[in-house]
Amino acid sequence: MMNFRHGFKRLIGLLSIAGVALLFAGCSKSAATKTTHITYWHVNAETQGGASVNKLVKEFNKTHKHIKVTAKFNPNMYQGLMQNLQSAQASGKVPDIVQVGWAFTNYFSDNFKYMTPTDAAQKFDKSKRAITNNFSTQSLSFAKNAKGKLVGLPYSLSTPILFTNDSMLAKYGIKKSSLGTWEGVQAAAKTIKQKSGNYGLYIQEPADTWAQQAMMLSNGAQIKNAAGKAAFASAQGVKAYQLYQNMVLKDKTAIHTPWAQGMDDFTNGKVAMAFTTVAQASHIKQSVSFKASSQIAPTFKGNKLTVPVGGSMLALTSQDSAKQKAAWTFEKWLYKNDSLLTWDKGTGYLPPTKTALDSPQFKKYLAANPMIKPATEELANAVPWTSFPKNGLDAEQDMIDARDKILTGSNVSQTLKAAQEKINAQQ
Amino acid sequence: MLNNNSQIEEAVNSRYGPRASRKPRRRLLPFLYLLPSALLLLVFMIIPIGYTFYLSFFNWNLIAPTKEFVGLANYVNVFTDPTNQKVILNTLVYIVLLVILNFILPYFISLIVNFFIGKMKGPYKILFFIPSLFSLVVGAMLFSWILNPVSGPLALFLRDFGMKVPQWTNSGAMAIVVICLITNWKVFGYNFILLLTGLGAVPKNILDAAALDGVPKWRVIWNIVLPLNRGVAIYVFILTIVQGLQYVFTPINVITQGGPYYGSSNLLYHTYLNAFVLYKTGNASALATVTFVIFLILLFIEIKFVEGRHKDAD
Repeated sequence: MMNFRHGFKRLIGLLSIAGVALLFAGCSKSAATKTTHITYWHVNAETQGGASVNKLVKEFNKTHKHIKVTAKFNPNMYQGLMQNLQSAQASGKVPDIVQVGWAFTNYFSDNFKYMTPTDAAQKFDKSKRAITNNFSTQSLSFAKNAKGKLVGLPYSLSTPILFTNDSMLAKYGIKKSSLGTWEGVQAAAKTIKQKSGNYGLYIQEPADTWAQQAMMLSNGAQIKNAAGKAAFASAQGVKAYQLYQNMVLKDKTAIHTPWAQGMDDFTNGKVAMAFTTVAQASHIKQSVSFKASSQIAPTFKGNKLTVPVGGSMLALTSQDSAKQKAAWTFEKWLYKNDSLLTWDKGTGYLPPTKTALDSPQFKKYLAANPMIKPATEELANAVPWTSFPKNGLDAEQDMIDARDKILTGSNVSQTLKAAQEKINAQQ
Repeated sequence: MLNNNSQIEEAVNSRYGPRASRKPRRRLLPFLYLLPSALLLLVFMIIPIGYTFYLSFFNWNLIAPTKEFVGLANYVNVFTDPTNQKVILNTLVYIVLLVILNFILPYFISLIVNFFIGKMKGPYKILFFIPSLFSLVVGAMLFSWILNPVSGPLALFLRDFGMKVPQWTNSGAMAIVVICLITNWKVFGYNFILLLTGLGAVPKNILDAAALDGVPKWRVIWNIVLPLNRGVAIYVFILTIVQGLQYVFTPINVITQGGPYYGSSNLLYHTYLNAFVLYKTGNASALATVTFVIFLILLFIEIKFVEGRHKDAD
């Protein structure tokens, strides 16, 4: 009897808890019909523009009552974001708008469901060209996949530039005008090494070969030919890498070390030049105690400047029409001049639209931050970052492996050839 | 509260062991209690292990709707691919170094602290334990800065004495040593405390008896203390290998990303690289399965060896 009474009490208790839970579930459902919640995935840590992401999102949420954007930081840059997107897609809960690094353009478009900006403009603005008009044909080309389809809209642009420790260069009598060519950089680095014992150059070595590709491109080499096959093991490609290997191993004037350590070495005044992304400008400005400046990326003698563009595009991954519309509204808002300037000031990236680049506010910003200027001048010579149509991630890893091997003494020509064949076997 | 005879009887039954009169419902009860843990174990351990094993026979990029069956090709690749062979060899080097740094060294120091140092035991415990409270990411970044061969504080200090810090990130062997040292910084204190506690539990009367008989201290340690502390030692030894190989993942990821040319990679990092960087789940699953088997064999050999010695001693 007592047991029965006890059980009955419990049942009543459970039922009332369930009732309250249902009530709350009902509340949240009715609220959701009013406001569309969307998630924006980015790669910007607090010190790398994360603060401006939060500022932009906060401002958007304040001015748009029916859309609520939540920003989610993804560690480990674009690769980390892709990994999380993989898991999200596998679990069926995808974000609505994501940053996609250029190297992942094909991988993203082959494996994920997304809405192209052209389709979004057509569906929600009833005009195909309303948004794309704002971009140059060249900058739109960065966001196209191997089939020539526009996957997203260019958002962050960066190019590699040569940062210099002007105090050190002046001390050892090196003219900055001699650093326009890689041959000039090599000679300057030798002088620095002989006179001070310091290293002359550091070329960034993250988990991609973007900077090394810039070197090869500026010697007239191709990374990928018109047929989509790897073609970097050409005489020009080998010559570019050979100079790099000689500087590291023979002259011992360039340092081969992970990215964070290399940048520390430059900002601590132990390396005279750093060839790295413009996105490092604000970090360098804040960290150095010497006079630092930057200049356009060097080329090999007699060759035209060609640099791969870095950064990312914004892609719409929403699967639900209401969310797609909200994400598209948010995306368009992010491309307003004011929003772009907040973003570029916070990250050191270059604006992707013509109007923002030409705006007086951006020009004023450039005047105050002259280290960024060479990067904007390079934009006219920028080409899309090589993204192989098939097994692109493997291809990037093969190029990283080749760099590791070359910088530890492997034969340049043979190593590049082997990497090229390995990549082409998978295409 | 026991308020009738049958309940009293049940209580007696449960206290004094099973009886023939026990109801089947009672027999099911222990399994019911185990059910939550068993379910968790099933969902988060057994099913994923089974699924990993299943995936190791396919080529799949984690997203494509179809998985291509490749039979044993992924396993053949694990043992024939030169990169994988290098990574397996590195893993063995890691194990040897980790055992020396994170097991033998703390054991040695805990013996000294317990038997040869009278005072300051408390402060030693605290000092050694502090690093284990920090995240390994912090440790990795800190060591990467301190040991920067060009502009780190150690390099600047040594420069005054005409010495240099070698370019350790360019040599797989040196990178492995540094990564193990970072792990050692994190794990040492925890292992030290465990071993010291174990040593403290060795019965004092045995030690006193040995001291009365005039047995030398090293013999007391070798013949009495070490065998008596074997349980804790085995636990720390296993922890050192299994957890150590997982711990080195963070510094590898933060500092070298397995480089130079897989020189500092190990089976766990290489599995991660294949699974979540290159999205080759088949290869990654085969590597994970091989790692699992290697761990099983290591544990089996270790337990067998120690257990065998234990029986001989008896």
